[in-house]
This record gives sequence, structure tokens and C-alpha cells, in this order.
Amino acid sequence: MGARSGAPRGSEPASAVTAGTAPVLEVEDLRVRLRTPRGPADVVNGLSYTVGPGETVAVVGESGSGKSVSVLALLGLLPARVATVTGRAVLQGEDLLTMKPERLRQVRGPGAGMVFQDPMTSLNPVLTVGRQLVEGIRAHGDVSKEAARSRAADLLGEVGLPDPKGALDRYPHELSGGMRQRVVIAIALSNSPALLIADEATTALDVTVQAQIIDLIENLQADRGTGVIWITHDLGVVAGIADRVLVMYGGRCVEDGTVDDVLERPAHPYTRGLLGALPDLARPAVDGVVPDLATVPGTPPAPTDLPEGCVFWPRCPVRGDARCEHEQPPLVQIQGLDRHFGPSGLPHRAATWCTEPTSDTGLPASGTGSTALGGDR
Amino acid sequence: MFALVHLVPGDPVRLALGTRFSQESYDALRERSGLDQPLVEQFFGWAGRALTGDLGVSFRSGETVTSQIAERLPATLTLAFASILVALLIAIPLGTVSALRPRSVIDRVATVISQFGISVPDFWMGIVLILVFAGTLGWLPSGGYVPISEDPGAWFSRLLMPALVTGVVSGSVITRFVRSSVLEALGSDHVRTAQAKGLPTRQVFTWHVLRNALLPLVTVTGVQLAYLLSGVVVVEIVFSWPGLGQLALQAVQARDYPVLQGAILLFALVFLVINLVVDLLYTAIDPRIRR
Repeated sequence: MGARSGAPRGSEPASAVTAGTAPVLEVEDLRVRLRTPRGPADVVNGLSYTVGPGETVAVVGESGSGKSVSVLALLGLLPARVATVTGRAVLQGEDLLTMKPERLRQVRGPGAGMVFQDPMTSLNPVLTVGRQLVEGIRAHGDVSKEAARSRAADLLGEVGLPDPKGALDRYPHELSGGMRQRVVIAIALSNSPALLIADEATTALDVTVQAQIIDLIENLQADRGTGVIWITHDLGVVAGIADRVLVMYGGRCVEDGTVDDVLERPAHPYTRGLLGALPDLARPAVDGVVPDLATVPGTPPAPTDLPEGCVFWPRCPVRGDARCEHEQPPLVQIQGLDRHFGPSGLPHRAATWCTEPTSDTGLPASGTGSTALGGDR
Repeated sequence: MFALVHLVPGDPVRLALGTRFSQESYDALRERSGLDQPLVEQFFGWAGRALTGDLGVSFRSGETVTSQIAERLPATLTLAFASILVALLIAIPLGTVSALRPRSVIDRVATVISQFGISVPDFWMGIVLILVFAGTLGWLPSGGYVPISEDPGAWFSRLLMPALVTGVVSGSVITRFVRSSVLEALGSDHVRTAQAKGLPTRQVFTWHVLRNALLPLVTVTGVQLAYLLSGVVVVEIVFSWPGLGQLALQAVQARDYPVLQGAILLFALVFLVINLVVDLLYTAIDPRIRR
């Protein structure tokens, strides 16, 4: 588990961060509606969270849960013709969603840098690596070409590219996937952003490269105090890097809290399902029978046709409350689950009517299904 | 190709001699033109001479084929390059604008215009232009060709209409390509990366959209240019433009084998050369092809 030294993780230091300094990013009731041929699709439905300086917030969820769209919406990277974004997203005191286009352009880069999922396609194939770095640096300041080039070389060195000077004149196709992703990270960091958004930044990479990239971002974050939003569906990565976790489902946040709270003591049936679906090498065979890999049955709801009550209701194995089907559960702080460790500095919230950790849910009770993740125990 | 030319029914000797001639003069001319020899021999003789730059002598005029082609070449080059210029001037803005606003009014209008350009016969468009601008309005001469060295004004006024007709046709084809390649470039991930690093919109568009959309544009422009250089027969006839297309057509009518063969050989060469140039351009603009 790559727990980082000096950065907040777990119970006590977390409160120091949020209490001490203003958050880098404050998202409030973010909603995204897309115009599709099949009618309006509510892809993000009222998302609220904050990212503190030096803090890593992991956003997890299945494909189509609205993770990527929610961050693209922050930086105005969704096509305006099809996307309607409402809510508030305050980055360093300024609301991104009501910003003038020119101001938003200035914020992209120094305010927030973004690393995308597929390093094979996120660089322009016909421009050199150096050019793509230099143009980003020069877009945000009166820097001479030579100065920008030497800064670009420094950045490439910082992200661990061998022969950074030579790499400036290489084209993306001459680099491997891991190297390209380092270039993308260098571009995202080139204007020292206050916030770094990594949208499935390691999903397309193999595991060893993935670990290197995660280390790289953690080190850079520790050096610069950058706030990080880490979008992933890999819970192993979450356990390794996140301070806080936000579980998304059907465009909503269904559970959030510290990484320990959410991964060790999940409250929402969906989170428990996700954790239960992890292969667990430590789980013993019962009477010589190796248990099947658990899954969350069914598919996520289509954003054009969200259920009326709890978004997870159609797939939920619990359905422990009469309100499940008709009434949307609010995201509230849950009681009683955190009894093992006492109250942490950050609230552990979940949007469900069925918070009691019971063993009759058919899902593994908290802890047992997540031993592969819960390295602190 | 050689066989095809000779398979065309009709006897060039008969056509050259007119209606009344004696068997002696027929045989004499036939022998002089080498048409009495077996086809295979004729072919190898012609091909061998062609390699040395000798394309033979026209049956009709008695001039060498090379001199006839050289005489027509400036007119064809002028029209081809003027047309491709018109085509690009139409296609790049129209295609780009419709890609930027897909399914908008502008896009639909652009689609209609380019469909019109593709489907309307060029000779009809030429005749309409002549009727309007040369006939009714009397602004432009109806046809002919004046070398630019003689009278630039007359050169331009005579070039305008034929270049417009062929340019609209080629431009319509190219517009569709520009639209789809700009659309594709717009949707690619690296454009989002460029936006995310805070580049000004214009810079994103020039260097991350247009620059990448250039690749397919070069190919299709090359194909269109090759087509224009091999003579746009119908438009040349309509505007009495003394180009290679007209030469080739006259050669067919007169069964003037040497001229026709020479013209066809030249067209084939033009295609080869243009393809080569396109490939070379590709290596210049797409680093992925360089080694």
C-alpha cells in the first residue's frame, strides 16, 4: 500500500487539512444533462465534494456512472451544443461554471491540469513532444521559446523521461505508452496547477507502469501540494493513493468518506457489492469449494431513464426499506458504522435507506470482503 | 491501352485520304505510317521510340506528337491549377464551417451546394455560365485561350469561367472530404488535451484540428489535380479551350493513333508523378510515416 508520508491519510491528520486551509476545489450540486437522440440524459445528478490542497480524492464507479463527464464539465470540456452544466464549482475562489470563456482558458493549465485515460490518443501525433509542451507553457505567460523549451525539458526530467532534452524532438509514436503518459502528465503539470485531475490515468497502462505513474503523481503532489481528483474503477489504486473516496453510481454520489471508512466499513449496498466483487486471494475455500467471483448483478441504469427512487434499487440485493423504490435517499452522515475507530475528522456519508451493516444482506459484512484492500488492519 | 486504341473501329488511312482515293495512295500511306505491320511489332516499335522521347508523327497534321502536346500543355496546366485553386477556395472554408457546426443551417446549405456541384453535369454548368455572362450580360468572352504572356487581362477573363466550372466540381468533392476529416480531427482526444492545457481556441483549431485534417486533404487534392491535368474534355470543348483533353478527343475522332497514344501515355505519367508527389508530401507532413 503506497501510503504517502506527510500527506493526510486515515483518521487524525485528515481534519488538519480541511480545517486549516481553504479547499482548492469546491463542487456543489453539479448537474450535467446531455442532449441525446434518445432524449435528455441526466449523466451527473447533484454532485458535491471538496478537494483540499495536497489531498487526493478518488472518484470510483462503473463505466457510465458519470465520473469522467463530471470532471470534463468542470473545465468546460464538454461540447456546449449537447451538454448543459449547472451547479457551482469554485476553484480557488472562482466559479468555473459561470466563468467567461477567456478566463476559463486561462484557468485551464495553471488552475487545473488534466491527465486523460489513453496516452495513445491524447497527444497530437503530428507535433513533437516539445512543441506540445512549449505551446502549453507559452499560452500562460510571456515566455520566450528557448525558456519554454528548457522548462519543458526540466518537466520531462521531473516525470522521469530518460534523455529529456532529446525527447523534446521526438514524436509521440516514438514513445511507449508509459512514456507518453509521463508526457501527458508533464503537460498537465507544466503550469503548476493547483488541482490535478487524473481521468483513469493509469487504466490503459500495465501494472508496473501503473505503479510508477502513481508514485510519480504522489511525489509531485507531496512536493507541490497539489490537490488531486483521481478517477478510476480500480479499487486497488484507490486504497493505495486516496485520502478520500467518492463512490458514484447513476450520476450520483452514493457514498463518500475517508478511504478507511469507505473501503473498510462500506455503508451503501453498491459499495459493498463493488468491494465484494474484488477477487480475494486470502478468502479460504469452504469445504474444498473455492467461492465464485462475486458480481453486482444487472447493469447500471441508462441516464435517459433513471429510476424514481434509489438509483441502485433495481440491482440492490438488500431493498430493506419501503422507501427504496419511490423515494430518493439523501446523502447523509451515517451513524453507528464507524464505532470501531471512533469518529474520523471527515464525515462518512451514504445515500441509502439501508445503512445497517447486517449479515443477512447476502453481501460480505464490512471488512471480510476487503482484506485485499484494507492493508492497515 | 495500345490494343484498345487500335481496336477502335475505323481506318485512320481512309479518314486521312478523304472520300476519293486510289488503292496505290492508300497502300503508300499505310506503309508510311507503319500500319501494314503486325500490331505487336507496331507496339514494340512505338514503345521503344517513346522511351527515347519520340512519340511519332500525327497522321492528321504531320507534326510530331511531342510538339502538339507541348503546344497544348500550357493551356491545360493553366486551367488545372486555376481550377484546383478555385476548388480549395471553396472546399476548405465550406467544409470547415460545416464540420464546426454539424447539422446546422450552414452545414445543410453546404451539403446542398456540394451535392449540386457533384451531380450537375459540368457541360451544363458551362453552357449556363456562357449564356449568362457571355450572352446576356456580355461581361466575359465565351471561350478561347490567350497565353498570359500575350495579354494577362484577356488570359484571366477567358480562364475565369472554365476554371469556375471545373473548380466547382472538384471543390464539391473536396468539400465532403474536408468536412469529414475536420469532424474527425475535432473529435479526437488530443484536441481535448490541447483545450485542457489552456490553448487559445484559434491555436487549438489551427494546430490540432486543421493540421491533422490536412492529411486526407492532400490525398484527395492530388487525385483531383491529376484528373484536371489529364484534361477535362467536356469543359474544354464547351469553352473551346485548346487543352490536352481536346487534343485527345480530336485524335480519337481522326483515329490519329500516335497522338492518342502520346496523350494517354502523358496522362498515365501525370497520375504517377502526382501520386509520387502526394506520397512525398505525406512524409513531410506526417511524422509517423518518416523512418
